[in-house]
Amino acid sequence: MSCTMFAAIDVGSYEVNLKIYELSARKGIHVVNQVKHRMELGKDTYATGRIGTELVDELCDVFLDFQRMMKEFGVEDYRACATSAVRESNNHIVLLDRIYLKTGIRLEVLSNSEQRFLGYKSIAFNSERFQEIIEKGTAIVDVGGGSIQLSLFDKDNLVTTQNIRIGTLRLRERLADVAERTVRYAAVIEELLNNEMRTYRKFYLKDRNIRYILLVGNYIQYINHYIHKDSNVNQITKEEFITFYDEFIQKGQLAMAAKLGISHENSTLLLPTMVIYKRLLEETGAENVVILGMDLGDGLAFDYAERKKILKPRHNFENDILESAKNIAKRYRTNRNHTQVIEHLALVIFDKMKSVHGLGKRERLLLQISVLLHDCGKYMNMSQPSQCSYNIIMATEVIGLSHMEREIVANIVRFNSGNVLPFEELAVSSLLERTEYMTIIKLAAILRLTNAMDRSHKQKIKEIKVNIKENHTMQITADTAEDLTLELAMFPEKAELFEEVYSLKPILRAKKTSETSGI
Amino acid sequence: MKKEYMKSEYFENRELSWLGFNERILGEARDKKNPLFERLKFLSITASNLDEFFMVRVASLKDMVNAEYSKKDFSGMTPQQQLDGIHERVHDFVNAQYSTWQRSLLPGLRQCGLQVIEDHEELNPEQARYVDQYFVENVYPVLTPMAVDSSRPFPLVVNKTLNLCALLMKKNEKEAELEFATVQVPAVLPRIISIPSVEKEVKSVILLEEMIARNMSQLFLSYDVLCVHPYRIMRNADLSIDEDEASDLLKEIQKQLKKRQWGEVIRLEVDEKIDKRLLKILKREFEIKEDSIYWSSGPLDLTFLMKMYGLEGFDSYKTAAYIPQPVPELTGKRDIFEEIRKRDILLHHPYQTFDPVVDFVKKAARDPQVLAIKQTLYRVSGNSPIIAALAQAAENGKQVSVLVELKARFDEEHNIAWAKMLERAGCHVIYGLVGLKTHSKITLIVRREEDGIRRYVHLGTGNYNDSTAKLYTDMGLLTCSEPIGEDATAVFNMLSGYSEPENWNKLSLAPLWLRERFLTMIQREIAHAQNGEPAHIVAKMNSLCDPEMIGALYEASAAGVKIELIIRGICSLKVGIPGISENIHVRSIVGTFLEHSRIYYFLNGGQEEVYLASADWMPRNLDRRVEILFPIENEQLKKEVIHVLEIQLQDTVKAQIKEPSGVYEKVDRRGKAAICSQEYFMEYAGNLNRPQEEPVQSRIFIPAEPVEGTEDGE
Repeated sequence: MSCTMFAAIDVGSYEVNLKIYELSARKGIHVVNQVKHRMELGKDTYATGRIGTELVDELCDVFLDFQRMMKEFGVEDYRACATSAVRESNNHIVLLDRIYLKTGIRLEVLSNSEQRFLGYKSIAFNSERFQEIIEKGTAIVDVGGGSIQLSLFDKDNLVTTQNIRIGTLRLRERLADVAERTVRYAAVIEELLNNEMRTYRKFYLKDRNIRYILLVGNYIQYINHYIHKDSNVNQITKEEFITFYDEFIQKGQLAMAAKLGISHENSTLLLPTMVIYKRLLEETGAENVVILGMDLGDGLAFDYAERKKILKPRHNFENDILESAKNIAKRYRTNRNHTQVIEHLALVIFDKMKSVHGLGKRERLLLQISVLLHDCGKYMNMSQPSQCSYNIIMATEVIGLSHMEREIVANIVRFNSGNVLPFEELAVSSLLERTEYMTIIKLAAILRLTNAMDRSHKQKIKEIKVNIKENHTMQITADTAEDLTLELAMFPEKAELFEEVYSLKPILRAKKTSETSGI
Repeated sequence: MKKEYMKSEYFENRELSWLGFNERILGEARDKKNPLFERLKFLSITASNLDEFFMVRVASLKDMVNAEYSKKDFSGMTPQQQLDGIHERVHDFVNAQYSTWQRSLLPGLRQCGLQVIEDHEELNPEQARYVDQYFVENVYPVLTPMAVDSSRPFPLVVNKTLNLCALLMKKNEKEAELEFATVQVPAVLPRIISIPSVEKEVKSVILLEEMIARNMSQLFLSYDVLCVHPYRIMRNADLSIDEDEASDLLKEIQKQLKKRQWGEVIRLEVDEKIDKRLLKILKREFEIKEDSIYWSSGPLDLTFLMKMYGLEGFDSYKTAAYIPQPVPELTGKRDIFEEIRKRDILLHHPYQTFDPVVDFVKKAARDPQVLAIKQTLYRVSGNSPIIAALAQAAENGKQVSVLVELKARFDEEHNIAWAKMLERAGCHVIYGLVGLKTHSKITLIVRREEDGIRRYVHLGTGNYNDSTAKLYTDMGLLTCSEPIGEDATAVFNMLSGYSEPENWNKLSLAPLWLRERFLTMIQREIAHAQNGEPAHIVAKMNSLCDPEMIGALYEASAAGVKIELIIRGICSLKVGIPGISENIHVRSIVGTFLEHSRIYYFLNGGQEEVYLASADWMPRNLDRRVEILFPIENEQLKKEVIHVLEIQLQDTVKAQIKEPSGVYEKVDRRGKAAICSQEYFMEYAGNLNRPQEEPVQSRIFIPAEPVEGTEDGE
């Protein structure tokens, strides 16, 4: 068969969705079925920190229906992903197991950064205009039930992304008591939001020029339809929005929901959403709101199609990941020249050793990120850079990386100096398995080795040749005319880990290959 | 809706309008142009219709009166006024039924060689011996006679059953008190029993109750039987389940079925010769008022006439059975899916056979490429091949989802039984949505083909019932159009309780969108009329009694839209009201087949639109049911459907025209050809199968010429 049937299940804060896709090189991505079930998982999580039995039972029933619908279209593969409502619940590990035993569906919990990254993938695939829009200053704002994700794009690349943990459902739940007692509910919401918004602007927005806001959320389509009726415009100007907002506040949520054509049960988050939209517009100073559909399910489908080589990507997402890593590095003032050169050296070694380490493209990317971030800890403390780098990475969102991958990167960086923890010790405070541990030490060994080659941070070695010899040695020939005394002296110590991991003894020697280039 | 079109005097009460429909059927029973046995059938139908009408409609009005609900309906009548109106008209109606039977049908039967013995005293000695013998051997063992006295309370008399009551007196006790006894005429025995005939060429039959009456004394041996008379009661049977309270719908309905026997008595039918003392007892025990007692001058419960129709012989007094014609697009074709891929296929039942619909499911059950079958089932036949195919499909590993509508009136028990059967076979059975009857008729087959998923859909105006498909006129569409396929999947998602899609491609569904859709289309015609363009609506349905829709039609008529309605049953719309409904023409066709298809046509400024639907324009269809309206977009098929409407509008034989007085009159045929639309379609369906252009068969073989080089070089 020339097409693949794939299903994506998205377990959100207030909705559970199933989408079934037909993926093929010829027709691309085609949705054949789509169902939504409204259930407020977030309500339990955000209020009590755990998801109650009743909701889990309901979720299982829905999953059994989904399971059947998947069979109805002969689905061969699926991904079921949960976001913040499940992620933030204390009992989610138990819960996932129960769901699997009852329904046979393996539900994964996505980290925020993975979730958002998949979201962008869906936007990039769904919209012809994506590439054009991100060239100018653009903020993609994804207003979810649990949080708001704000990502800034400039000149075709992701500049920064931040998660503000004030989503529509969370706002509503947090202010549930107040709502009953005040007539200025909207103003109270605004006040609560303002603090977070101000912090965001101060740290991340600074004086960037944001022209467009790409709004992603449940209600914006309805609002656009209300403002523009049947015309196919998918852009709202700031003035149009403010006019609408005033009408909204004046007439009230209930009346406006009816006018917008939103069912009563779906309208309870309307007011918090409106306030968030309005504050965002004011805070970013954007002139236009662009409406784009973002859908985690679509993101999962595109991701799957890409990995299975059914579709070619339209936008280079690896660049986004690297770009955001570079931005993090920049924030912590790492030495760009240093990282740039060892990034190159590390990749030369990595590529040369393919048959020795057996790692793939993704691990190559992790190595690159590790190199970019390995020095960021110095910003905090000069004496324990590796440990500090570890802490910084663990506390930072790197878009496109799963939490596990982030932990791998953090550990690679941690083992850049000092003792490498044995697996048993590492496992005490981590969920990483042996395979991930192996990835860590393999990549840490390369990082350590290459880092030693620029011990002076003077970029004396810019090019190397690597040769793996019969007698368990690896010869690294540095093409340089500079004096390598320091590097050669430090090298054997830093090569120990490498030798231990790969059973290869690296030997560094300097050789001037071209007389002319040295002058 | 504008108030000016909603005045109560513009509307006819729906119950009275329905009675008019039953009167039209009785008209067929009285029509001497119909074969005698067909007339029996029509009379039988009027009786069973009336039974259902009482159980559902009258019962519901009684409930309202009991609850002191006195809100007027759209025609300005309170429930009590409606009941009074109904009683008055039904009394006349019953008289007409029996005069038809006594004066016309009974003598007619005698003439064509069927003697129906209505009074056992007419039996000759030989017949009497046979009858008594038959009674002892076959009837006596199943009877349960019940006497009533101070120690034995009045027994439960079961709804709709035929019973005999008698006055008894203890033998040899001169001053004994009169006692009351009752016995149910067993429903398990045939009501019509053949007995030896009096003369050659004549068949004699007697009714079971007459046989029992004759032998009543054998049931009460120590009594003298003073008199015996038949009676029958009708109880309130309208199921009004409170769905919010029923956590388990299934259980609740089963409970209600048992309860139904205990409903209030709303009609008592008695023999006009009944003994006054007996009647008094019945009246007291059933707590019934004078106006709810119906007197008959012939056998009670005329539905037995359907069985009489089935008596062997008498073929020259029956219309020859019509054999549904094959569908030309599918005859001789192996793969129904392949044919559907070539083009949409329109089906017109019963002129065309229902087999393709059954085959559609059957083939899917066996086809290795089929992944899933989904279907809504409302009323199915007793031994449904569709159910068997669905069960088979599930056993073959297909994903089978079936929506079983348990709320289908009077079919609940039946439906529960096979719903359980399907579940056992591994089908996923959905019991519909709380508060909404699923009336739509849709089948979806998901198939995995070379180039991906393809959905095949059948949409229809009638139920998936292979038996009624031979009697009801319905239309259906087989298609694999992608937009309809997507919609079909969304319909089933919705029926499984998942939220509706953001938009529908082609289908319109009740209860959320359909009413608006119809109103919009009527408004569109109004706009055309106001611009001075021709505007035209033709709608064929079973009943029209939705005030908003009627108001919209009045508005359209007033704006100059030409409106032609073909409505078999209830029509609460009044024609010929000056300034309101002068442009509306209403006709009703009552024929051999039950007109059941719903077809809607809108001129739309020349861009004609044609739709088929499962819904009538009744509040229940538009507000409380899941219904589907689907467009016929293929130009060829659109023409076919328009042709059906045109022929029905030209019918001069079975059509009756609604007059401003509310009375229906036969078409004035002067200067018009006699067209009976049902007969026309029977012939038309046959003609479709004749090869269009017969290729001329030649016995002379032509030798091929050697190929000549062409100048083009190719």
